[in-house]
Amino acid sequence: MSSEPALMSLTAVAGAIADKRISSREVTQSCLDRIAKWQPHLNAFMIVEAGEALKAADAADVALAKGGRRGPLHGVPLAHKDMYYEAGKVVTCGSRIRRDFVATTTSTALQRLKDAGTIRLGSLQMAEFAYGPTGHNAHFGPVHNPFALDHITGGSSSGSGSAVAARLTFAALGSDTGGSIRMPAHFCGVTGLKTTVGRVSRAGAMPLSQSLDTVGPLARTVEDCAVLLGLMAGADPADPTAVAGVVPDYAGATSESMKGLTIGVPSAFYVDDLDAEVASALDATIATLKREGATIVQVDLPDQRQLTGASQLVLAVEAAAFHKRWMIERPQDYGPQVLMRLQNGLAISGVTYLEALRWRGPALAAHIAATANVDAVIAPVSPVPAPTIAESDVGNAPDAEAVIQRLTRFTRPINYLGLPSLSIPSGFTRSGLPVGLQLIGRSFDEATLLRIGAAFQRATDFHEKVPHLP
Amino acid sequence: MTRPTEKEIGAIASAAGVPVEKEVAARIANSIGPAFDGFAAIAGTLPFDLEPSTFVLVQTEKVAR
Repeated sequence: MSSEPALMSLTAVAGAIADKRISSREVTQSCLDRIAKWQPHLNAFMIVEAGEALKAADAADVALAKGGRRGPLHGVPLAHKDMYYEAGKVVTCGSRIRRDFVATTTSTALQRLKDAGTIRLGSLQMAEFAYGPTGHNAHFGPVHNPFALDHITGGSSSGSGSAVAARLTFAALGSDTGGSIRMPAHFCGVTGLKTTVGRVSRAGAMPLSQSLDTVGPLARTVEDCAVLLGLMAGADPADPTAVAGVVPDYAGATSESMKGLTIGVPSAFYVDDLDAEVASALDATIATLKREGATIVQVDLPDQRQLTGASQLVLAVEAAAFHKRWMIERPQDYGPQVLMRLQNGLAISGVTYLEALRWRGPALAAHIAATANVDAVIAPVSPVPAPTIAESDVGNAPDAEAVIQRLTRFTRPINYLGLPSLSIPSGFTRSGLPVGLQLIGRSFDEATLLRIGAAFQRATDFHEKVPHLP
Repeated sequence: MTRPTEKEIGAIASAAGVPVEKEVAARIANSIGPAFDGFAAIAGTLPFDLEPSTFVLVQTEKVAR
């Protein structure tokens, strides 16, 4: 067992608490010690609730001593993106508009993790209303990358990526509408799972785009993501879009090898105009997948630029519709970049929006046909490693969206298709910046992605690298 | 499908109940243009009896296999 409990994985620490090899208080104190050290450099937390967390940890220890283990994550302290409603708590959504919003309900995903025994460390920073891919926030300041403090974390789950990478929390909920879990995972060197649309209830999660929003975890390992997904997935009376049916044994899938699986490498788009070090990480990962027993084949995917365009049209309109009232009443309370993005939705007619939604079925069918012979597709999350905070602070620049579109080029098509995608740490640049790759799967087949990802992590150690303060 | 012009964006934003200044409309036209370009090959080509819920059918059909 690590001398610093906060450095353990979620599953390892949960097991150690259950076996009484360590107390929830010791674990929570270890996280709080790291938060105290790192938070001034990272700005990853929106709020730290140290006193309440220690009180909850003590209660968890007392309960466990009496045989009252609440669930598989009994006594494990976590913090989540500040957009998951928790009754009685302020949930800012990274905004000035909701700075004082107190939730009256608790999100289903969060409740299920609480029911499993987790306790709350506080809440994590995020892009304003989850509408930004870099980690900048006009109201609360940028979140910093633990591997290079002057670089971005990616967004919108910026605090989740930063805090998990720095070992301040064992895992964190993020959300992914255009890449907001996968990009922070890629830029910060952690594992992130964008779930299939309908896999995890969105009840009580701040909406951005009802067609594209997904709830998912960022964690240190694939196994940790599997455990969290198993706890959160499934039907929910509060969210009719959450799909019913038996939840697969995701954790069980992580113990299997990737022998017998076929993984596709796109022949175009995802391999075009890559930064040399991202391209090199992709090549090395493909070699590892082969060594571990997977068959690698090339796949010709349909035109991904069309998917990107459709994704942007749907997102822009749905976000503008959610925000219309505040755009009229409180435009001055938005950060300039976020207001700009929201205004984009005003340019799209109802007919164009519905065309973009109507095409979603045929587009998914075409993707299924193109990938019929593979179990997953491997691709970069982004063509580049993390840019600096300064160079990506686009403000009101006219090319702001061009910069953003480059970062999100490889993530948006997957949101449009509603597919699951697992981002795994796959290397580091010469300057020490993490590089992640995404495994894109079939609808509701997260289990296969987790199986491949876990086998990859048994063969590599990129996910184990811990950042250090300079 | 062509990119909307600054003038068209001004009109559609007003119709949506959120009027914007001319320079904002020009910025939006530049910003959202690539999305229209990307979708241009699809717009106006979809069959008559296709509705958005087809997506869920395709998604769940895959689950049943």
